[in-house]
Amino acid sequence: MEWRIWTFVVCGILTLLPGSAADSAQTPKSGGVLNATLIEAPPSFSIHDETTISAVWPTMPCYNNLVLFDPLKKQEDLSTIIGELAERWSWQDEGKSLVFFLRKDVKWHDGQPFTSKDVKHTFDTVREVEGVTAKLRVNPRKLWYENVMSIDARDPYAVTFRLKRAQPSLLLMLASGYAPVYPSHVPVPELRTKCVGTGPFKLKEYRQGELIEFVRNPDYFVRGRPYLDGIRYTIIKERGTRYSALQAGRQDIPFPWEVAKTIAETTRRALPQLVLVEASTNVNDHIIVNFRRPLFKDPKIWKAINLAVDRKGYIQAGRQGAAVIGGVMLPKPYGVWGLPEAEQMKLPGFGDPAKQKAEAKKLLAEAGFGPSKPLKIAVSTRAIPIYVDIASYIIDQLKQVGIEATLEQVETGVWHPKMSRGEFEVALNLTGIGPDDPDANFYENFKCGSLRNYPGYCNEEIDSLIEKQSQTADQKKRLQLVNDLDKRLQLDGARLMLGWSKEYLVTWPHVKNLIPHQSIYNYGRMQEVWLDK
Amino acid sequence: MRVYLLQRLITAFLTLFGMSVVIFVLLRLVPENIVDILFASAGFVNPAAKEEISRELGLDQPIPVQYGRWLRDLTRGDLGKSYRYDVPAWQVIKPRLPVTAELAVLALLVAVFLGVPSGVLSAVRQDSLLDYVLRIVGLAGLSMPSFWLGMVIILFLVSWTGWIPSMIYVSPFEDLKAHLLQFLFPALAVGYRSSALIMRITRSSMLDVLREDYVRTAWAKGQRQWVVVFGHALANATLPVVTVIGIEFAFMIGGLVVTETVFNLPGVARYLVDAILWRDYPIVQNLVMFIAIVVVLANLTVDLLYGWLDPRIRYGTR
Repeated sequence: MEWRIWTFVVCGILTLLPGSAADSAQTPKSGGVLNATLIEAPPSFSIHDETTISAVWPTMPCYNNLVLFDPLKKQEDLSTIIGELAERWSWQDEGKSLVFFLRKDVKWHDGQPFTSKDVKHTFDTVREVEGVTAKLRVNPRKLWYENVMSIDARDPYAVTFRLKRAQPSLLLMLASGYAPVYPSHVPVPELRTKCVGTGPFKLKEYRQGELIEFVRNPDYFVRGRPYLDGIRYTIIKERGTRYSALQAGRQDIPFPWEVAKTIAETTRRALPQLVLVEASTNVNDHIIVNFRRPLFKDPKIWKAINLAVDRKGYIQAGRQGAAVIGGVMLPKPYGVWGLPEAEQMKLPGFGDPAKQKAEAKKLLAEAGFGPSKPLKIAVSTRAIPIYVDIASYIIDQLKQVGIEATLEQVETGVWHPKMSRGEFEVALNLTGIGPDDPDANFYENFKCGSLRNYPGYCNEEIDSLIEKQSQTADQKKRLQLVNDLDKRLQLDGARLMLGWSKEYLVTWPHVKNLIPHQSIYNYGRMQEVWLDK
Repeated sequence: MRVYLLQRLITAFLTLFGMSVVIFVLLRLVPENIVDILFASAGFVNPAAKEEISRELGLDQPIPVQYGRWLRDLTRGDLGKSYRYDVPAWQVIKPRLPVTAELAVLALLVAVFLGVPSGVLSAVRQDSLLDYVLRIVGLAGLSMPSFWLGMVIILFLVSWTGWIPSMIYVSPFEDLKAHLLQFLFPALAVGYRSSALIMRITRSSMLDVLREDYVRTAWAKGQRQWVVVFGHALANATLPVVTVIGIEFAFMIGGLVVTETVFNLPGVARYLVDAILWRDYPIVQNLVMFIAIVVVLANLTVDLLYGWLDPRIRYGTR
């Protein structure tokens, strides 16, 4: 009788072990089709043309990068980068050349051999090099490769990126889901409607707006991969239907990013056997003040706005608990480069809400605003529920310090043109960053004159610090520089940071090796995913 | 009859021409176009690239020129190219037409087979318990939006059976049972609402007819109940019912948006909303024209059916 009790106890302990530990102990099984969910059709299959997770997530299985963040490690940094089309790589010329040594056993899905010519073609197209005829329709990440001077592909199996100056981050950007290698023999416009890659899965069928089906690539260069026979991405637009399909077992996994905490918990309550994983999205929420407007020439005004907002309240009211407080870079433990919490909490806006609100009122009074002459501002935001929810909370907070704020909802199609033209006073915005990397963030959002520097913030000293951190090869020194920059940017009000949202991935327990990273854009390859059925 | 038909066809043509102008102008009145949306999702605006894409899609041309090109292509059977998917619009629209048509027809069958008999029963058993029950059920159908009912059906299925219909379109040639199951629940959700309307019209029309002298005479002659009810009364009560059925069918084609979304059926109605959001003009224009043609044809069919159902009606004479 006693052995039975002990068996029961041991089995109980084993079932309580974390899922990942149990996964690693299991031998992967081959076969089966993964039923994945999409919330909308991808705008195209051309990842280099797109900026939405709806394009990257279902297209990643078709392509390969030179390098990729290890899909089995949840935190992405330089040490978790693994080779894909590149067997190995080396930094040369004091960090001014990055040489990739390519695999020789790779074929495109149409049977053509892969060579360095394809790598050069891809990144010269993105860089819009003079003389390159291939052209992307929209080229959102040209800035990532601005420091690349030339790409040398004289050897068919080696390619050299020559840089204007050292930039360790280039490797991180090349490891992002946004950096696949395109075939040079297929015209770029054709890649918007079909997928010719080297990746673990080949496109079998695309029914516009309904279904994307991939089958295993039998010629894949990684022996024994992928484990799955195929992936079927079903586009389900209605949220209630999506979760019903997941509960009914029609879908194995939901779409990453869109699962709110409440929905995840409700779904799990209905089916306790589902696995719930919490992860970061690498998307931050912030307030933008338009520095081009005369009102904000007086720093007291934006400082008062910053102090008025209770950050803990924002997490509860704006994000229903699904966010963490943070600065310009994604905070730990999710990110690598964020400010330590203790330092972040010392910054204006993150202290005691009552004291801060009193200070905000004082600053407004000094600027000439008070109950008899209230400050009136319009808070613009996108007409999307999550934006409106957070903006409504901000307006309530501003009212508590005597600022009469009104909400201006802007249609998605108009939002970025308006922001780029500076047609706003104060705005509530969300920014997603591809890889968790300072260069990807700083150059796009904070450098003088950058297309996405909506507040019109410009500080030459900050620009030179951005350049300095970008060239620093020593990761410890770079982290220190990035932390200093983070603080400086927040103290300058470059963006009034609120926090970083979290995602909740609910999957069936038979789905193994799908490990969310701190950025949603980089773990969709599906090469290692298998089904325990 | 020929003159009447010709008159109706000319009217239909003019209606469709008017519709084409309205669709075209209204779409252009909506702020922003596909190019703005492409850059909006990219998070930046590059004026040179924007201009180039506009030129490529012909959006840089004056609106009358764009309209003229669309009509010219339409008469040649060329529906243009989807801005969003970069493929011929017909390639996107074609597989969706049978889905919506099948759902509309099935929903209409549900509506007719539920609505007409229950309307007749309700009228024949006026003020009985059965009449009250049928009226309550009918009123409930009218009060419940079909998409809400659809959502409830899905939640009920998943909670009680752990099963829901396929989320991917199943062709009847591939698996007939799965195909029918896929369409059964949306057809019930949409058909129930329409059946309620048909039931109420049938009931009131039947009540009027059942009070007519010739029905009383038929009863007095001792004819069987089913002969009186179906042979004499229903035959003469069908005109308003047919009108409602025609209108409902036309309404269904364009009004299945939410039901198709809830049951994840890849029909034209669901796709139309997507195309509007993306300002995919070729798709929206052609789909709305398709819906307009269905509405015009449905009305024409109903008008022609009047003559067949009621021989007293003559076309083209004053």
